[in-house]
Amino acid sequence: METLLIDCVQSSLRHFMLRNAIFLCERLCADFPSELNSQLLAICYLHNNQAYCAYHILKALFYIQKFMAIYNSHLVWPQNMKGHKWLNPATCLQFHAFRWIFLLKLKQHYALLSLMQRYTDRRKSAVDHFKRALSMDPLLWAAYEELCVLGAAEEANGVFSEAAALCIWQQLLNPGSNTPNLQITNEDHVVVLNKTLGSEEMSPRQLKSMQGNIFRDTPGNHVAVFSGGPSSQPSSGGSSNISLYGTPSPMPAQLYGVAPPPLCRNVQPNLNILGGESSPKSKINTTLQGSRRKLLDEGKLRKVSGRLFSDSEPRRSTRLAGEAANTNSNSLQVGTNGSGHSSTRYFGGLSSSSKLISAAIRSGTFCKGQPSASESFDEGRRSESFDDSRLDNTATTSSSASLFADDGSLERERTGQQMGGVLAHGSRVSSGILELLDLLRTLGEGYRLSCMYRCQDALDIYMKLSHKQYNTGWVLSQVGKAYFEMVDYLEADQAFTLARQASPYSFEGMDIYSTVLFHLKEEMKLSYLAQELISTDRLAPQSWCAMGNCYSLQKDHETALKNFQRAVQLNSKFAYAHTLCGHEHVALEDFENGIKSYQSALRINPRHYNSWYGLGMIYLRQEKFEFAEHHFRRAFQINPCSSVIMCYLGTALHALKKSEEALNMMDKAIIADKKNPLPMYQKANILVSLEKFDEALKVLEALKEYAPQESSVYALMGKIYKQWNIYEKAMLHFGLALDLKPSATDVATIKLAIEKLHVPDEMVDNL
Amino acid sequence: MATESSEGEEEGKAIGGNQHLVVDDDLREMAKKAAWSVSSCKTGNGVQFLRDDNLDTYWQSDGAQPHLVNIQFQKKVKLQLVVLYVDFKLDESYTPSKISIRAGDGFHNLKEIKTVELVKPIGWVYVSLSGADPREAFLNTFMLQIAVLSNHLNGRDTHVRQIKVYGPRPNPIPHQPFQFTSREFITYSCVR
Repeated sequence: METLLIDCVQSSLRHFMLRNAIFLCERLCADFPSELNSQLLAICYLHNNQAYCAYHILKALFYIQKFMAIYNSHLVWPQNMKGHKWLNPATCLQFHAFRWIFLLKLKQHYALLSLMQRYTDRRKSAVDHFKRALSMDPLLWAAYEELCVLGAAEEANGVFSEAAALCIWQQLLNPGSNTPNLQITNEDHVVVLNKTLGSEEMSPRQLKSMQGNIFRDTPGNHVAVFSGGPSSQPSSGGSSNISLYGTPSPMPAQLYGVAPPPLCRNVQPNLNILGGESSPKSKINTTLQGSRRKLLDEGKLRKVSGRLFSDSEPRRSTRLAGEAANTNSNSLQVGTNGSGHSSTRYFGGLSSSSKLISAAIRSGTFCKGQPSASESFDEGRRSESFDDSRLDNTATTSSSASLFADDGSLERERTGQQMGGVLAHGSRVSSGILELLDLLRTLGEGYRLSCMYRCQDALDIYMKLSHKQYNTGWVLSQVGKAYFEMVDYLEADQAFTLARQASPYSFEGMDIYSTVLFHLKEEMKLSYLAQELISTDRLAPQSWCAMGNCYSLQKDHETALKNFQRAVQLNSKFAYAHTLCGHEHVALEDFENGIKSYQSALRINPRHYNSWYGLGMIYLRQEKFEFAEHHFRRAFQINPCSSVIMCYLGTALHALKKSEEALNMMDKAIIADKKNPLPMYQKANILVSLEKFDEALKVLEALKEYAPQESSVYALMGKIYKQWNIYEKAMLHFGLALDLKPSATDVATIKLAIEKLHVPDEMVDNL
Repeated sequence: MATESSEGEEEGKAIGGNQHLVVDDDLREMAKKAAWSVSSCKTGNGVQFLRDDNLDTYWQSDGAQPHLVNIQFQKKVKLQLVVLYVDFKLDESYTPSKISIRAGDGFHNLKEIKTVELVKPIGWVYVSLSGADPREAFLNTFMLQIAVLSNHLNGRDTHVRQIKVYGPRPNPIPHQPFQFTSREFITYSCVR
C-alpha cells in the first residue's frame, strides 16, 4: 500500500493536484512514518507554497541544512512566484485543465475541470465531472472531497469498493495507451523497463517485448480477466491472457531504436503530439525512475534525476534492486517475506537491503537473458508465488488465484516469461490497493457524513480508523469540526488541541478552531492561536480569521472586520471568511453589507449553513419574519443536528404566530442537545407570551438548575410572578436577577419592573 | 471589567479628569455615524480634531460664547455617557470650566439636561446622562449639544481635544426581553 500511496502522491504532484497530494501524503506518513515519506510530504508542501510546513517536517528530520542547501531554489521559488498568476490556484487550474484536457484527457484533469466548474457555479456539471474522474481513478481523493462538499457524494463504500480496486489494479498494469486511464506511473514503469533493458545490451529482445506486452492490454480485456474471477477456469483465463499478450506483438518494434527520454512516446502513441512536452515529462519521469534504478545502471540514472529526489536517490538506489525489469523477481523475493505493507515495492518504494541483495543476484542471473534459465527460474518462482498467494488477504485471493492460474498456464505456454512474476506480485499490489481503498473508504465515509452534518455517525466512523491514522492532523481536525457542528465545543476544543500537537503547521480547520475558542470565550488560547498562525503563514486566510475572531471576542468589531476582509482578499473562495465578515457587519449594525457578505459566502458554497443562519438573523432583527423563517429552515435542512438553529427556527416560527410548531421545534432542540439551555429559555418565553404561565414556570425552574447564574431566567420568573401578583416572589427574583449583574438596559428594565410592582400591568408599557 | 470613574454630585460640580479612558463593556461608542458640527472654529483646528482619537490635536473655537458642539443622529438613540478630554496644563485659559449638555429633536427644541463644572481638569472627564430614576437610565434623543459656557481664567475661546459619546449595546439576540449574562447562555446563543 505504501508504494501505491507514494505513486498517487507523485502523480498528484505532477498534475498540480496539490491538496490531493498533501492529503495522501499525510495518510502515508501516518501509517508508514519514515524519512522518505516525510520528505515527500515536505516536497508536497513546498509545491503548495507552504514552505513553512516543509520546514517543520524537515526540521524534525534534522535535514534542515541539506534542505537549505539543496532546495534553496525552491524556497526562493515561492517568493518569486508571488505576483505570478500561477500562484492563484484558480488560474493555475484553469490553465492546466484546459491545456491538458484537450491534449491528454487524463482523469486528473477531469477533476481539475470540475473544480473550475465548481468555482463558476456550474454545480451539476461539476458533480458529473467529479464522478467521472472518480470512476476513472478512485484514488483521486480531492475529487471525492469536492463531491462531499457539493453535497453530492455517494456512499464511500460505493466509491472505494472492490470495483474501484479493480479499476486501480487495471490502471497499474495498464498504461492505457489508447484510453483515458492514463497513469504516469505506469508510463514510468514501462519507461524504466525499457530504459533499463535498453541499457542492458544483453537483454533479449524477446524479454523486452514480453515485458512490453504485459503492459499493452486493453482495459476491456483486462477486465475480462478479472471477471473470469475465481480460478475455476484457469485455462480460459490463461488463453484470454495469451490473446491479450499476443495482440500487441507489433508494438515491441516501437520500443527500441529510440533514445531513453522519449520512451514515453512509445508507450502512448497519442502522446506523440506532445513531442515537445515529453521532455519535461520524461525529466519528471526520470526523477522517479531514478528511484527505481536497476542495479547495474545506477550511475547513469543518478545523473538524470536532478531535482527534488536527488537527495533520496543514493539511498533509494542502494536499496532498490533493478526494479523494473526485475521487479518480478524482486517482488516475489520480497513477497515471500510475507508482511503486508512494506514488503512489496512494486513501484519504487523502499525495500530492505537484504531483499536487495538477493534480488540483485536474481536480477543478475535474470539479465543474462537465458530463456531456459529464466524459465526454470520462473518455475521456482511460481511455487513461491503460490505460497505467496496463500499469504495474501482473502479479499485478493480470487483475483490473485486467477492470476496465478493464468500464471501457471502462461508458464507452460511461453518461455522466458516473467509475466507470471508480474501477476503474482501483482497480488501484493492488489492487497495494497485494497488496504488503501479501505483507508480511503473510511475517511471518505467520515468526510461525507460530516459534510452532510450527520456528525455523530461521522465520529463513529472516524473512531474506526487505526490509531496511527487517527492521530494525524487532518483526521483530528475533522473530528473537531464534527463536534463543532454538534455544538459540543469542549470536545471540539480537545480534538483541535490534539490536532495542533500532531501537525502544528497545518491550517486545515484552524478557522473552525478559532471559532470554537471564540464560543468558549477563551481569550488567551484564541490570541495564542492567532499569533501562532500569523507567524507561521501570513498569507493563509485561516490565520486572519483567527485574528479577527480574537478581536471580535473583545468586541472590537471594526478591527475584526478588517481582519476578515484581509482573509477574503487572500482567498476569495474561502466561504467562511465571508460569513465571518457578515457577522461583523451585523454586529456593527450594518445590515446591508452583512447581507452582501452572507450572500457572497453562499455563492461560493451554498451548503454553508452559517450564512443561511446569518441571513435569518438579519431578517429576524428587521422583523421580516417570513424571510427569517425561510432562511433558518434552509440552515436547518443542511445541518439538522444543531440545536441552536432549531432554537432560532422556533423563535422565528413563534414570531410568525405559529406557536405550536415553535414549541415542537423547541422540544426537538431540547432533546437534541441537553447541554444547551437556550431552547428551554425560549420555550419559556413562548409560553409566557402565550400566557401559559404554569408551564413556563416549570420550564424555568428546571432551567435554574442548568444555568444558575443567568439573570434573564430570574428576570423572566419575576415577570411571571408579577403577573400573578405574588409580589414577594417577584421581588425576590428581580433582586436575584439584579445581583447577577445584567447589562445596563436590563438593570433599567428590572428596576422599573420593581418600582411598578404594585402597579397593574396595563399601566406598564414596555415590560 | 472596568468601572466608571466616580461621578460628581447631582449637579455635576467639580469633576476631576482621568488619565485613562475606561468604560463599561456594555457601552459602545455611538457617535461614529452622527453628524458633528461646531458653532465656530479656528482654521486648522476644526471639528475633525474632536474625533480623530489623537489627544494632541484639538478643536479651537473662534467666536462668542457659548461655544457649541452639535451631534445629530439619524435616528433616536439611547445615550448614557459623554466623555471629554481636556487638559488644563496645556490649555490653561482655553480649558472649559462650565459645560452644559442639551438634548432634543433638533436645534429648535433643545433642553438642558445636565450642567457640569470643571476645576482644572487634566484628562478624561465623564459626564453621565442618566438620571437618578431607573426610568431615566438612558437619554433617548435625536440630537445632543455640548455647550461650553465659560472657560478657566475667563478665556474667550476654548480647546477641546476629544469627545466621545456612549450608549448601551443592543441585544445581540433580537427579540429577547433580557440580555444573557452567563457563559452557558452566551455560548449557545449564536452560530458563528
